[in-house]
Amino acid sequence: MKQFTYLIGDENGMHARPAGKLATYAKRFVSDVSVSANGKKADGKRLLSLMSLGAAKGAALEFTITGEDEEQACQTLRQFCEENLCGEE
Amino acid sequence: MKHAGDLTQEFHFYNQDFADGINFRERHGEHMDVMSKQRAAFRGAGVSGGKACGTLKFFRKPTVRPAPSSRPVHPAAELTRLRQAMETAREQIAELHRRALADIGKNEAEIFEIHAMLLEDEDFAETLTNEIAAGKCAEDAVEGAVQVWSRMLRELNDPYLSARAADIRDIADRLLRILAGETQESAAAYTGSFILVAEDLTPSETVLLDKSRILGFVTFGGSSNSHTSILARAMGIPALVGVGKIDEELDSQLALLDADAGTLTVCPGEAELEAFRQAQERQDAQAREQEKSRRALIGRPSVTLGGHRMLIYANIGEGAEVAHALADGADGIGLLRSEFLYLSLNDYPSEEQLFEAYRQIVSDMQGKKVVIRTLDIGADKQIPYFDLPHEENPALGFRAVRICLAREPLFKTQLRAILRASAFGNAAVMIPMIVSAEEVRRCRRLFDECKAELICEGVDFDARMEFGIMVETPAAAVMSDEISAEVDFFSVGTNDLAQYTLAADRQNPMLAELCERNTEPVLRLIERAAKAIHGRGGWIGICGELAADLRLTQRFADMGIDELSVSVPNLLAVREQVLRCK
Repeated sequence: MKQFTYLIGDENGMHARPAGKLATYAKRFVSDVSVSANGKKADGKRLLSLMSLGAAKGAALEFTITGEDEEQACQTLRQFCEENLCGEE
Repeated sequence: MKHAGDLTQEFHFYNQDFADGINFRERHGEHMDVMSKQRAAFRGAGVSGGKACGTLKFFRKPTVRPAPSSRPVHPAAELTRLRQAMETAREQIAELHRRALADIGKNEAEIFEIHAMLLEDEDFAETLTNEIAAGKCAEDAVEGAVQVWSRMLRELNDPYLSARAADIRDIADRLLRILAGETQESAAAYTGSFILVAEDLTPSETVLLDKSRILGFVTFGGSSNSHTSILARAMGIPALVGVGKIDEELDSQLALLDADAGTLTVCPGEAELEAFRQAQERQDAQAREQEKSRRALIGRPSVTLGGHRMLIYANIGEGAEVAHALADGADGIGLLRSEFLYLSLNDYPSEEQLFEAYRQIVSDMQGKKVVIRTLDIGADKQIPYFDLPHEENPALGFRAVRICLAREPLFKTQLRAILRASAFGNAAVMIPMIVSAEEVRRCRRLFDECKAELICEGVDFDARMEFGIMVETPAAAVMSDEISAEVDFFSVGTNDLAQYTLAADRQNPMLAELCERNTEPVLRLIERAAKAIHGRGGWIGICGELAADLRLTQRFADMGIDELSVSVPNLLAVREQVLRCK
């Protein structure tokens, strides 16, 4: 199991576009990806589930990745967060 | 002329009772069709700036009614109908996506990628299946799923995500239309140019509108996050949202839309109309003038009025950006982030691959300088095959030149590729994250080793290629006297320099204001580095975000900064600012 936490810096929080992209990335891995924020838990491969976290700017996204390709999934998703949720263009 | 106070009053007035909301102000006697109408004013939030003058056109939504569900319902048959409808919907959305890509732009077209994903979302599908299993027909199941998910989004109390309920509605309407046997929603068949008035518009409705006819958008509800707003901004069309309901009787009336002031004036007075037209013309002329005057600066040496030459370079992260940089008149590339190949591959790129990529960029720049920054990765910019340990504090960790000096073969492969590329134009090499003269000397030794190897191998390179470092640690700035003896140039990475100087993580939104307010210590460090390198006859550039801060251009000119390297969209504005400096 791999875990990491990412603090959302983007003004818009995790809105539909990054959530959609995140789900697309997560689906490339066989590992289970779960994302928690605000005391709620979402399936990282499902868009509506991710949107329902309502994760705004400043929210801490906690990723838990379990499965055979967890190592690579963890790195890819962490990089995804830095590129899409940090709030810098 | 009206005052903001009057408009606010009218706004309340219309919100209370829009039906009788005709204000008795000036009569309009010039146009036949507005003879009987009185002037009316509305106020809203201008979410896309600009002015427009034209007739109002009310957007009428085709009403979608679920078929009466009196007929017997067979779950298996309903499920098949629904699946077929979803398949058709997928095709329609793909078509809208293509249209949006062609008409509006990549970012805005993404809305339809989101639609496609929502349609395929397992949670959404699950809700639909459950509704059908509970004995509902396909139409009612769609309505049921919409209720569930729009409510969920609204309850998040997040303005952006709440606005996404409109996306769910859009998808549902599409499914209902398909279930009712309609093929594709009909594009609004209006003629002439107009200001479009609507309760709100779904993304599909917005895309299907003929954009060349729309002078502006006005919506009853909506927020700056609604699709109408997003699309209006992308299309550069003025838009006003949240004006409250407007009486449909005002359809076809002449109106003035001023999204900058947040006002809509229906049946304006003649004097008002004339003043508006003049203001609009002035504004249009100004915008055209600005673009034209900035374009005219391309190719002009960027010299301040005081005679100081500051080169304007571009920061790029891949070869594809070279063409854009040249089109906007970049004097060179001040920062080529050389990581791109390492990031896109699954294993270390070979010297040959790196050389080919750098050579292409160097020769595309046709003799203009290309400053190639060596690998700047670390725990915060992970590359899987580098196999770096996890760090608690990556910004202060094992990164950039620290990795390169610990893994010499990796570093030398890149240095050799850069040297070889230098034979094809004007390249320079720059080392990131330096803290001491000793580190620079170690890098130089490896650099010289590479040169010696290439000479032995009979491979060509530019023997006078410049060698420089990034000044992005306070240590490098403080030690710039010693370090400047070892290099040809400095390039200041202000993003890291600011975060290390202020001990403030730039990713932390709570510290954004602190960083914004404390540029002075960073500027003084830059000043120190500039004095040191100039004392040795070298040059200094700035490639961080501060380089594009037009409030600082004068200060940089005063320090004698030789080059500003900014992202491509900032090139023209910075050039213009340099020419204005004393």
